[in-house]
Amino acid sequence: MRQHPAAPIAVWAALLLMFGLPVQAAPDYRLEPRQIAPDTWLVEGRTENFSKDNGGDIVNVVFLATDAGVLVIDTGPSRRYGEALRAAIARVTDAPVRRVLLTHHHPDHVLGNQAFADVPIAALAGTARLMADEGDAMAENMYRLVGDWMRGTEVVLPDEALEPGVLAFGGHRLRLLALQGHTGADLAILDETTGVLFAGDLIFHDRALTTPHTPGIDAWLADLDRLGALAWSLVVPGHGPIARDDGPLRQTADYLRWLDRTFTEAAARGADMNEVMQSPIPTRFADLPLARYELIRSTNHLYPRYEGAQFRLLAPAP
Amino acid sequence: MRVTVCGTNCRAFTKMCRPTDPSLGRATQARASRGWRRFAVLVLAALAGGAVSAGEPDPLGSVMWDYHHERLLEGRPYVFDERVKVMAPPFAEDARQVPIQVDARALDGQIERVLLWADLNPIPRIAVFQPGPEVAPLLAIRIRVEQATPVRAAVLTRDGVWHVGSSRVDAAGGGCTAPSVVRAQPGWEDRLGQVLGGRYPRGEQSRLRVQVSHPMDNGLVGDIPEFYLNQAELRGADGQPLATLELFPAVSENPTLTLQLKTDQPAELWLRDNNGNEFQAAF
Ligand SMILES: [Zn+2]
Repeated sequence: MRQHPAAPIAVWAALLLMFGLPVQAAPDYRLEPRQIAPDTWLVEGRTENFSKDNGGDIVNVVFLATDAGVLVIDTGPSRRYGEALRAAIARVTDAPVRRVLLTHHHPDHVLGNQAFADVPIAALAGTARLMADEGDAMAENMYRLVGDWMRGTEVVLPDEALEPGVLAFGGHRLRLLALQGHTGADLAILDETTGVLFAGDLIFHDRALTTPHTPGIDAWLADLDRLGALAWSLVVPGHGPIARDDGPLRQTADYLRWLDRTFTEAAARGADMNEVMQSPIPTRFADLPLARYELIRSTNHLYPRYEGAQFRLLAPAP
Repeated sequence: MRVTVCGTNCRAFTKMCRPTDPSLGRATQARASRGWRRFAVLVLAALAGGAVSAGEPDPLGSVMWDYHHERLLEGRPYVFDERVKVMAPPFAEDARQVPIQVDARALDGQIERVLLWADLNPIPRIAVFQPGPEVAPLLAIRIRVEQATPVRAAVLTRDGVWHVGSSRVDAAGGGCTAPSVVRAQPGWEDRLGQVLGGRYPRGEQSRLRVQVSHPMDNGLVGDIPEFYLNQAELRGADGQPLATLELFPAVSENPTLTLQLKTDQPAELWLRDNNGNEFQAAF
């Protein structure tokens, strides 16, 4: 007996509907660690905004795979990413994960923590405070931006406070710097053994930088001076490609100075926010992914301070 | 400590904040009378002539357009007119402080008043602006948005037609129901009515900018009743009004306003809140 060829499909479709089986496979991050220095592996994110296509995989995550175990720097944007990262690490080494360091509290850097809940997670005290205060709101926002990739993601706070100084791990001398320019609590890590600088989001490369928690452009520029004075031969920015020179640092500083000048001049002219958001973007930044988008955001974050500095007292409170 | 990211209750928050004006039901009755009104609009626009078309559907396709046309524009003739520029960011980075700028200088000389609103806000109205002949029809202000919404400026010209400009702001939402930032700051009462600002020459003209310390309570947060600046007047040296501004509690806390005076004459801004407090600042 011949069957109509469409029938089995219709039957399957009906069954899927009845039992609510997933029609699409679960999204997969496909993380591919790449060795960039002795023991040092990079999982490079895309220079995009958060989206339902990329699941928030826009961040650079690094791990040191040593004989003494694995140290992970940042855990990514979601539980699913953290799990994929852990699986990717296991493909590179049999050594167990011993420790996690978080560079700062932004959701794309810390929401993979659940996958590392069995090892100590360390961060600056200020980072832990910011995560406790704002973590769930930021996670909610991530859920809105990237959707299903976030399923089951919860904020896991660090359980260890880092102090600036030297941390020895698996034959590496890691200099920990407590900086503040990007969020008020930013950890930069210089591996003095390999000469690799893990700059976190203090350095962006070929992607417009973000300013939602910066204490101010001056503070950020001061941090970049400090990082520039250190001896390193390879820099891993928080977002964007790694480099063997100080190009990413100079690009970040150049962009910050341009923002500062743009806001200062606009406030002196009496410009309101929308006019500032539409400021011309110099050609050297215009091709950076998300240049206009981040200028709009940074205007929201920072311009009120520049206005405030420009305003006079016209009338005291009565 | 673990915090759940987003349960199903995330959405309940925005739901209660949708426009639930009881008069919404009247929109149904109004629909019956819309037929002849559409016709009248078309006739009027045809009489007015020019490049404008009338009674056209909302270019942003807002479900609230007809409702606001009936209620805020009193069902009178309207055209969507690109000469009314509404500047707003495409998304609200901070839903409590969304900058809006209206520029209707292309219609200067014909303007009766300018009405600003956000279609999907629980308190749609933002401001009513009446610039006199010495004040440019240009206004920048910051507002709260509760969810993604069209933002409108309707300019009523002397011929009785509303010229409508629109912009769309995307938003995660919650700006109207977020706890007050001002009230969380110690000593805010002592600063109530303090005015910061400046005057900035623009050729022959002057930009006037102010930021007024005021919580602009909208009655939607906790048990705090409405407490907001509802009136402002720009006055010349001898006290004569140059422009008037009616404000609604969609306006953000510590309102920031930008106006443009066509001359270099001295000016003062007078403000009053719904509790009768009056404030005054000279430029
Ligand atoms: Zn960051």
